[in-house]
Amino acid sequence: MFKEIFLFELKGSFKKPATYIYFSIFFLVTFFIGLAVSGVFETASTDSNRVVNSAYAVTSILLATNILFSLLVSIMLISVVATAIQKDYQYNIHPFFFTKPISKASYFFGRFSSVFLVAIFIITGLVLGYFAGNLFGIGEPQMGPFSFVNYAQPFLLFPVINLFIFAVIFFSLTTYTRGTMAAYIVALLFMVFQFMAESISSNIDNKELAAIIEPTGLYAFNFITEYWTPEEKNSKLIPLTDVILYNRLLWLGIAIGICIISFVKFHFSQFLEPFNLFKRKVQKEASLPPAIFSLADIPSVIQDFSSKANRYQLWWIAKLELKKIISSKFFLILCLLMIGMVVLILNLRDQVFASSTYLVTYQMIDILSGGIGLFLIIFIIFYAGNTVWREREVKADEMIGSTAVPNSVLFFSKFLGLTIAIGLVYLIAAIAGILTQLYVGFYQIDLFQYLVFILTGLAIQIVFIAFCLSIQVYTGNKYFGFFLCLLPIVILPIIFGVLEWDVPLADFNSTGTSTSYSDLKGYGGAFAIWFFYRGYWFSIVAFLCLLALLLFPRGKEKPLGNRWKLSGAMFTPSYKAMMATSIVAAIGLGIFIFYQTRILVPYYSPEESQEISANMEKKYSRYKQLEQPRIVAVNLNADMFTKSRSFKAKGTYTLKNNSIEAIDTLYLEYNGGKKSAFSYPQFEPSKPFTLLSDDPAYGVKLVKLNQPLLPGDSLSLLFTMVYTPRGIFDKVNSSIEHNGTFINYSFLPTIGYNANGELMENKARKKYNLPARARMAKVDDSLARKNNILSSNADWIRFAITLSTDEGQIAVAPGYLQKDWVENGRHYYQYSMDSPMLNFYSMLSGDYQINREQWKGVNIEIYYQKGHDYNLDRMIKATKQSLDYYTENFGPYQHRQFRILEFPSAASYAQSFPNTISFAESIGFISKVDSGPEAIDLPFYVTAHEMAHQWWGHQVAEAAVQGSGFLSESLSQYSALMVMEKEYGPHAMKKFLKQEMDSYLLGRTTEGKGELPLMLCENQQYIHYRKGSVVMYAIKDLIGEDSLNAAIRKYLNNNKFKGPLYPNSIELVNNIKAVTPDSLQYAVTDMFEKITLYENYVKALDFKELKDKTYEVTLTVGSAKYYSDSIGKQTTVAVNDYMDIGIFTENKDKTKLKERPLILQRIKMDKPEKTFTYIVKEKPYSAGIDPYLKLIDRTPDNNSYQFGKEPKIPNLETGRKKKVVISTK
Amino acid sequence: MQLVIKDLVKEYANGVKALNNINLTINKGMFGLLGPNGAGKSTLMRTVAALQDPDSGSIHLGDIDAIHQKNELRKVLGYLPQDFGFYPKVNAVTLLEHFAVLKGITNKKERREIVDALLQQTNLFEVRKRNVSEYSGGMRQRFGIAQALLGNPKLVIVDEPTAGLDPAERNRFHNVLSEIGEQVIVILSTHIVDDVKTLCNQMVIMNRGTILLESTPREAVTLVQGKIWRMAIEKDQLADYKTQFQVISQYISEGKLNIHVFADERPDAAFEQVDATLEDVYFSSINKK
Repeated sequence: MFKEIFLFELKGSFKKPATYIYFSIFFLVTFFIGLAVSGVFETASTDSNRVVNSAYAVTSILLATNILFSLLVSIMLISVVATAIQKDYQYNIHPFFFTKPISKASYFFGRFSSVFLVAIFIITGLVLGYFAGNLFGIGEPQMGPFSFVNYAQPFLLFPVINLFIFAVIFFSLTTYTRGTMAAYIVALLFMVFQFMAESISSNIDNKELAAIIEPTGLYAFNFITEYWTPEEKNSKLIPLTDVILYNRLLWLGIAIGICIISFVKFHFSQFLEPFNLFKRKVQKEASLPPAIFSLADIPSVIQDFSSKANRYQLWWIAKLELKKIISSKFFLILCLLMIGMVVLILNLRDQVFASSTYLVTYQMIDILSGGIGLFLIIFIIFYAGNTVWREREVKADEMIGSTAVPNSVLFFSKFLGLTIAIGLVYLIAAIAGILTQLYVGFYQIDLFQYLVFILTGLAIQIVFIAFCLSIQVYTGNKYFGFFLCLLPIVILPIIFGVLEWDVPLADFNSTGTSTSYSDLKGYGGAFAIWFFYRGYWFSIVAFLCLLALLLFPRGKEKPLGNRWKLSGAMFTPSYKAMMATSIVAAIGLGIFIFYQTRILVPYYSPEESQEISANMEKKYSRYKQLEQPRIVAVNLNADMFTKSRSFKAKGTYTLKNNSIEAIDTLYLEYNGGKKSAFSYPQFEPSKPFTLLSDDPAYGVKLVKLNQPLLPGDSLSLLFTMVYTPRGIFDKVNSSIEHNGTFINYSFLPTIGYNANGELMENKARKKYNLPARARMAKVDDSLARKNNILSSNADWIRFAITLSTDEGQIAVAPGYLQKDWVENGRHYYQYSMDSPMLNFYSMLSGDYQINREQWKGVNIEIYYQKGHDYNLDRMIKATKQSLDYYTENFGPYQHRQFRILEFPSAASYAQSFPNTISFAESIGFISKVDSGPEAIDLPFYVTAHEMAHQWWGHQVAEAAVQGSGFLSESLSQYSALMVMEKEYGPHAMKKFLKQEMDSYLLGRTTEGKGELPLMLCENQQYIHYRKGSVVMYAIKDLIGEDSLNAAIRKYLNNNKFKGPLYPNSIELVNNIKAVTPDSLQYAVTDMFEKITLYENYVKALDFKELKDKTYEVTLTVGSAKYYSDSIGKQTTVAVNDYMDIGIFTENKDKTKLKERPLILQRIKMDKPEKTFTYIVKEKPYSAGIDPYLKLIDRTPDNNSYQFGKEPKIPNLETGRKKKVVISTK
Repeated sequence: MQLVIKDLVKEYANGVKALNNINLTINKGMFGLLGPNGAGKSTLMRTVAALQDPDSGSIHLGDIDAIHQKNELRKVLGYLPQDFGFYPKVNAVTLLEHFAVLKGITNKKERREIVDALLQQTNLFEVRKRNVSEYSGGMRQRFGIAQALLGNPKLVIVDEPTAGLDPAERNRFHNVLSEIGEQVIVILSTHIVDDVKTLCNQMVIMNRGTILLESTPREAVTLVQGKIWRMAIEKDQLADYKTQFQVISQYISEGKLNIHVFADERPDAAFEQVDATLEDVYFSSINKK
């Protein structure tokens, strides 16, 4: 019987078009992605070391990826799998089955296995699509050797198992509860699970736990592969070991358990008894006397069919709909889940050290939006489907359809009910947000922002509600309707992203602006854009709704044509006019938006941008070697207009011929391109010249001096420029803000060919027939060393500026304030610098508060937004301590002032300009520093880092060659670390360094061109910041702070304010070598000149208590050392290195660090494994090798272990693995 | 007021002709529409109730063109479909009030009155606070008719209303219907011959989309009186008899298979004449060769 049921159901499913539609959609999505990664589309090219057909790549696609996508799969599953048995009962076919001699097992499993097979068929679309797409890329460099197993193994390991897990759970729940709502709730719970996993794993120490418990295996996969280098990603299969194995077994076990329980509990007759979670006695029917009926007793009534009555009906039904929604359990569960999500996100942001901030209102609202967004989508899709189908499902449709109530009342009452419900959700979210703010002790609550949050949120969701309702009206199947509703928000963005189509008009329900709120700049005027986009989408869904009214399922007509005919009487001229109006409005607004975003302002796709760069290079790179006079002085008169958000400047660059030849041609560069918002009434040398060419397309002007500029001679370059945003949309995106403007030197025209604008991706260069280009000049390239990394046209300059802004704001630029005055509603500030600085300056304007302090004659000033005074003390303290440490260990500070200025939080970085630092709102000013011994004081650290740049960058300018990042950033990281260590103690560095190492290990896995040793790094942030921190701290530990500082000081003194040739990293590394004893020279080589990784681990640890209350600890540790090449291929080398051994006891004092060292000893690991014995006086808690993670370690987590725990022995292999390792351990 | 149906044709996408040139004129009173399942009754009802469009033909209720003025028709229509249900977890008062609003009874006081009156008249007042989804079959049907009677319908259409009711409930239901039939046009669609016999003053028999007979119950019987012959036969003889005679119905009685045959003359000595009933009319119509 099993076979018959199985085959019957299977045949049925394969006859349904939905099966093939689902399959095709999945197939097409990955096919597109497959085509895209194979390079079929004309898109921008990026360099990568990774092949796209490795098992790793396939898994990444299959596990894809985003939570919405897994929701799409869930909805498919619920419609295909979950209802396999429930539908028999829904359509009353069940008696046919249980009156026949069918065993429970063959019915239950027959049904399940056939629909599961169908689901597998559908989901193969994902892997087949990607495979088919890949086939088009054969022969391309991003294709590795094709291997069947690279597709099959990930497919079996993840989608198939996941499908089974989800299918079993959905099927069992639906069969058991007789409805699909439980399945939807579980689908939601899975999503929450994924968020939870993310939340848990954001704490580095909990990644393994998250990997095991997360149901899809995504986190297990990430956990195993997170540090895989490009080489490993290209060659390895997914190992079915460790957390991947446990995760798969755990969830398979859970699924099988649920399956068994629901099978045992299933009875054919279960559906005969109404299912109710809260069992209630069904009332017995009262026996009634016969009906006595007389029409005479029925009062006559007035029936009102006017439009007033229609409005009455509309609200009446809407109220009923609303009541239905908010009284349902699903609504309650959703609200609870939403609040849970908000808590999770709150928790998450506290875990990540850089993102913990005070809960200011806009951050709270960000969290709320993030927390509820996904739920609202599901909520709306679910209820839109249910409400449109409800009458048909309960069979009240004919009765309602035969009343004289118009379609519009029936349709819009549903719309209204759902909209009010969503409004309630926003209101609940806002109240939850306010309560949360109060709970965490933040009282500056901005109710206006909450109001905007609710209203704008509602305006967005209204479009989606109308869309979903209309879709459900059009479709002939609710589940398919669900699926269709998700398409524009899941599938379209994927496809558009792959094709690099940035079409704002097609970006479903787009708001047109991504500018976020900031306390400084407010909404930034984004409402202007917002309203037009809302209008556009409102018009589109208005049309969809009007169409839906015509196709409203009234009565029993199914084909759309018949329904259209049935409602034909509605299609009056005025109705047609309404439809036409909505189309015209949509088109009109669309044209307006298109005009504002595409016609008025320049727009280039990523590929077009690459092409433009390539063309410009072809045309102008020959001027690269053209000797140009250097800028030696900058004198500016600049005006920032914060209301019209425009900018004007008049400036003079003093140019001097520092070369040995006469210069007659000047290469002038300005902001060009078609439709540029910049104009230049004047841009020319002060001496007579002939214009050779002016090329506004690329912004290049070539002039020939009538009299060549002789070596040593000077001339002025004069310009006036005007920047005016083009159109109201462009104005919103203007660099000049209402408040909190931060622009820099690059806003102004310049001289000399700028090679930084050249196309960097070699794959793209090849496409445009350009020779391959090095990312950076070689470390010893003496031609390149003529320029410093910050500017290619100037050395040390003199700088003076008169900067004006609207009255009420303060304008700031590097230099010392000479005077300020108000004139015609504008406030002028005149600054000039008295010491040499680089051609690298900022211009800021804002309505600032100022906090002033002093340090030994240096004025410390912090310019901040009113209310953002949380961390001023930390910044001041960091400034003073930095000045202490740096002046003592490196050399004097070149300025008499130090200013920190807040800028809006769209960016989250700080940047150091001469005696002036721009510091983003979100990373310093509203950062919340946790209390506790391990807390990382972000404002303190960032201030110290930026302060250090006043030395590393602003006293020594680094050559524009490899290793410049090491000289500026790694040294600044080191300097900041030293200041932090002085303040917080050496043990507090562990968490910071661990995160730095984690970022380094993650960063190197996505390297597109090739990893380089620290001293040769080519502007690779994961190296110069992250590895830089770890390595500099380790070398300090090895050779001593004083020796290292002496080496650094020597480098500083030798290069202070020195012009070409600028210093490179060789000099500093040589200085370090010079202060390093012979026994440690290896470390300098390993750390700076090579890519070195260790695998340090605990093999065994134990202790026993001795008689005299001391403890004997036995510790076996191992160490392996690898050199890595640029793509992460590792070679094992013998380890013969110094490192720490530590034994720790538990600190009972909670205010201190959890562990306190009993023994911390440097030993030499001259064998791969060594055993140590120590006697300690207190009870040991944990022990390990290199416990502070000073050395770069492939697996940082196994360096120390608690006593009593079983250490995990790492895999020390390096070579490529050919076979899947299926270990059952 | 008259309901006039002319040349009504409806063919479904699968080729089934549900309405094949239907012409009817229906006056005030109970009108019975008799036919087997699948005869096209429900299609006809729905088409009259403006829930479906015919391919061609016209329907007029008085001045109202029911196909082109659907909303006008709906204003005077009470409809109880064959297969219906109600929202779960809603009690009778609330639900009936909901329908009252849909029918345009927007005055709160009037609405309350008519809802109470109808619940009383259908004898549901006692159980008005109970959820309709928990009602028994008979109560559900009565609630169905109550909703159909909201407002002042000129045309009431009830589709198979007594299917599944026990005899007592059916009786009660008949009383309700016949009372309504005194005031307005009531179309009763059924496959139960007795319903028509007891209630209707006008009737048609319909099969395969075609009207086979239009008459009153009484006249219809006279059409076949004297032409119905009965005989008891063995079961295996049935096929033979079916080829020889026009067998209109068969039933088991005392272990023997009885057949009714339609013929102008006694077909065989073994046949005995029976007193014709409306059932014989019905079967002879739909089984006519």
